[in-house]
Amino acid sequence: MTYGPGRLPSGAGRDSHDRDRGDALKHKPYLPYLLVLPALALLVAILYPFLTGVWWSFNSYRLNRGAPEFNWGKNFLTLFSTGEGLHAVGITLTYAIVVVVIECVLGIGLAMLLNFGRYGNVFRLLIVLPLLLPPVVAALMWKVMLTENGVVNWLLESAGQTKLLWLNGPDSALWSVVLIDVWIFTPFVVLLAQAGLKSVPKELTEASSVDGAGPIRNFLSVTLPMIMPVLIVIITFRGIDSLKMFDIIYTTTKGGPVDATTNLHVLAYLDGIRNLNFGMAMAALLVLWLLCYLISHFLLKARRKEAMA
Amino acid sequence: MSLRIDPATTVEPGRHRAAAVEPARPPISPAGNGRGRGTPESRRRRKKVMKHGAAITVLSLWSIFALAPIAWIVMMSLKLPADIVAYPPRFVFQPTLANYVEILSGPEFMTPFVNSLIVTAGSLVLTLIIGLPTAYALARFKFKGRENIAFSILSLRFAPELLIILPLYLIFQNAGLYDSYLGLILAYQLVTLPMLVWMLRSFIEDLPAELEEAVAVDGGTRWTAFRHVLFRLIAPGLGASLMLSFIWAWNSYTLPLVLSGKNTQVITTGIQQYIAYQSIDWGPMAAATVVSLIPGILFALFSLRWIVGGLTAGTVKG
Repeated sequence: MTYGPGRLPSGAGRDSHDRDRGDALKHKPYLPYLLVLPALALLVAILYPFLTGVWWSFNSYRLNRGAPEFNWGKNFLTLFSTGEGLHAVGITLTYAIVVVVIECVLGIGLAMLLNFGRYGNVFRLLIVLPLLLPPVVAALMWKVMLTENGVVNWLLESAGQTKLLWLNGPDSALWSVVLIDVWIFTPFVVLLAQAGLKSVPKELTEASSVDGAGPIRNFLSVTLPMIMPVLIVIITFRGIDSLKMFDIIYTTTKGGPVDATTNLHVLAYLDGIRNLNFGMAMAALLVLWLLCYLISHFLLKARRKEAMA
Repeated sequence: MSLRIDPATTVEPGRHRAAAVEPARPPISPAGNGRGRGTPESRRRRKKVMKHGAAITVLSLWSIFALAPIAWIVMMSLKLPADIVAYPPRFVFQPTLANYVEILSGPEFMTPFVNSLIVTAGSLVLTLIIGLPTAYALARFKFKGRENIAFSILSLRFAPELLIILPLYLIFQNAGLYDSYLGLILAYQLVTLPMLVWMLRSFIEDLPAELEEAVAVDGGTRWTAFRHVLFRLIAPGLGASLMLSFIWAWNSYTLPLVLSGKNTQVITTGIQQYIAYQSIDWGPMAAATVVSLIPGILFALFSLRWIVGGLTAGTVKG
């Protein structure tokens, strides 16, 4: 194992000169393009629905009212002037931020505990299990347990508390969905964080303990900077996946009660498939896409910078 | 960068340091036990016991939190309707396999299950045909537009599914691909291809190019080098990437929700029909849930470390 600056990490999205040594084997100049041709064809094929969708977002287009009609971006105006769009953006951002913060704190904490001793391997297998279920199925399981006469309310009653509405309450629905998301996806953070923590040399934390740093100081000044590259990957994946969360929300609440859990992705589905208003649906999706794109761009850039440092 | 658990590195920090700092520590005599309560040595040991005790407690609590819902659904799948709706919930009951018999003998579950297998397998084959050459080219050649192509492929993973699926819904209906296996397999590439390429590329990059150069020196071509050397070395990584793609495709919900009709309903959409129209068919739903968990669990027994290695590519040094 090398920890020093000597080894350039090889990976996607950055230039490492040692990758080019494969060129010592002679090859025809068109060979790489030939190999990526099928993927390129697929990318070009996907451009068609994508551009069609972008075009629709600038059109008044209801499936039951005939052909699309260009309306100069009125969809976006409607989206943000009726409050519907702003509300959905609010839900989208709240959900993503809350979920990422909770999962990162819990995930990194659990990963550190797993790295304490050898019992970690046993616990890891148990902890990872929820991640392997289809999120839809996991959400359904929770929906069953969170009903009025479900097992969770029974536990609450046994503990002397009153029953809660959970997914059916306008105030509690969003937090119930967050709970399900945390249950499913904290293991994802645990797995990646554990890999990152393994790369922190024991000598470093020990040396700073000897110099008088407490466990908190040790974590903030030594461990955290060392696992930053992995943390960026975690935040990228979890951040974007929770911005565009659809499966859990649609399975459990369908965006309700009323619009308490309607984020942009669910709003787009309800607009498009339910109300057949493809113009409005694509406008909502474009806003969501922009959010996802900005975050992935920002985080991939941060990752590249980390990798260079 | 793999996650192999090296026994040498999993030694607790305390023991590590004790050995390093106090190499001349005298062996503990039986008589020394009572006397040594206040020494730094025993205090450190007591602290270590408490630390591990706390860690095991927290990990156990989280494990219970993680497993309890799964255990509850398994229990529910073995109950008769009367036991299911009982309140307070029954933990002791007469187990029955009736729910499993019902779902495995009827088309409500088996049709989506078989459809899921067909669509997932088809998607994986297509992803492999497209993805393997792409990953190899991205890892081993330097060519114009390489990073742009890599980023474009990855960005498919980061786009909201409906952005592509909603227009595809109408395009597929016009092209006769709506509610067809072929249409679903094509659309599933959105889910399976980006991750396969991303992971496979990092696996190939991790292998030194000298391996293939050595083959060239011996007179082999790039193709022989790939077939006889590289392919064998990436086989475990390839297997793990395929398994992960399998899980992603199997779990996919948004795509079949929009693009599949009655004929090609898959398991994630099919399982929802048990809760349609207000009346919930709890028993069969629980049984269907349990059966649909099996691929994921099999996957867990397979191997996790390769997946983590692929996802964290280039960020975990050592």
